[in-house]
Amino acid sequence: MAQIETGGGGGHGKHDKKRAKKLSTRIDMTPMVDLAFLLLTFFVLTSTFSKPKVLRMIFPEKNKDVPLKDLPKVKDGLTLILNGSDKIYYYSGSTDKATALEATDFSKEGLRTILKERNKWLINQIEKVQIESDKGPRNDTAFERKIKTKLEKAQAESKFVVLVKHTSDATYKNMIDVVDEFLITQVGKYFVVDEPLGKKEQMLLDKKLKE
Amino acid sequence: MPKVKMPRSAPSLDMTPLVDLAFLLVTFFILTSSFRQPEPVTVDPPTSTTIEQIPKQVFLITIDKDGRTFVDITNPAIKGKVFFDMCEKYNIKITKQDSLKFVGTASIGLKMSGIMDYLEKEPADRAGYPMTGIPYDTADTKKGQLYWWAYYARIAAKNDFEDRKAEAEKRKLEFDMTSALKFSVKADSRTKYDVVQSVIQVFRDVKIKNFEMITGLEDKPAN
Repeated sequence: MAQIETGGGGGHGKHDKKRAKKLSTRIDMTPMVDLAFLLLTFFVLTSTFSKPKVLRMIFPEKNKDVPLKDLPKVKDGLTLILNGSDKIYYYSGSTDKATALEATDFSKEGLRTILKERNKWLINQIEKVQIESDKGPRNDTAFERKIKTKLEKAQAESKFVVLVKHTSDATYKNMIDVVDEFLITQVGKYFVVDEPLGKKEQMLLDKKLKE
Repeated sequence: MPKVKMPRSAPSLDMTPLVDLAFLLVTFFILTSSFRQPEPVTVDPPTSTTIEQIPKQVFLITIDKDGRTFVDITNPAIKGKVFFDMCEKYNIKITKQDSLKFVGTASIGLKMSGIMDYLEKEPADRAGYPMTGIPYDTADTKKGQLYWWAYYARIAAKNDFEDRKAEAEKRKLEFDMTSALKFSVKADSRTKYDVVQSVIQVFRDVKIKNFEMITGLEDKPAN
């Protein structure tokens, strides 16, 4: 260990008078090291590296002038119903024509597979644009803009729409999980419905739950 | 064979590189860490695969699993201004000291009438203070206090943003457009979605449409 050497302790003879004292330049660093490591340990243990992430959601303004039933009906869509369980109930097309609900779950083989299958067209378009983008020149703003417009165009042309409805038992986690699946499967057009389930939907759900 | 003589003096070890390294790391951790304010409730948000970072300046709406709502603003100037406006609206006399005290607190979930009592407590005693959540009204949002928190925050944030932008233009400095106050929701996984929806409804009535939902990190699927 580093130590203080108290050089030239004894012997203050006549001859020592003029000679400069030879002091050691070594200092005991142990307490300083102790302190440094104490602080280091403290900061290592208290710091968190993973800052929370955010999921952006946009809730459009409510259009109070148009009554609900006058809004255009979604024909080519998928309606998901969340009820707080680990299952998702869904049907395709319009509510009037739906006869029964189907059940799936939040797993990779569940909702994600369904969404991927239904959203195939857009996924393929995006892949095509991606390949084109990889081939194209780097750091070319005009080219990048062209790619961006193509992506936006593909998203706008996509006909696949998903509506998310929920019962009063649905949790926040259910909703975030579903929206996250939309992000993974590139579903651009999804709507979170504020209104409670319609009469027919409630009936279908009750029927399905009894099975 | 002659005996190998061991040196008598204590073995000395040069610790300088070790100390250098230790202090380098200490400095790194001091500079990178930021201390979190103690929160009145523990909220365990759900996870998602997004990699988007939390914005620098947020109006944080915390909703715990029982549906209580708390607000916090990370920008001290805006927080002070909003508190001042809220007190004026609900006829509460405040001093500059109270305002400073409020800015120093973490998320708050109290009625305006209960805030002064809370602020008079010593910071150490505030931890166990029973918070009831900020009241809101879904039928007539303007009756709830949450509406006015959102309303004044939106105005204060807009003014603050424009002031800073004008200042930057005057000095011909680059202006960070992303520094606007964002509204973010931090809710517990178990919170009922209806509650979250009602709270969001209040903010939508103040014409706030974009929300950043705070989530934990989840691994992105391979394909």
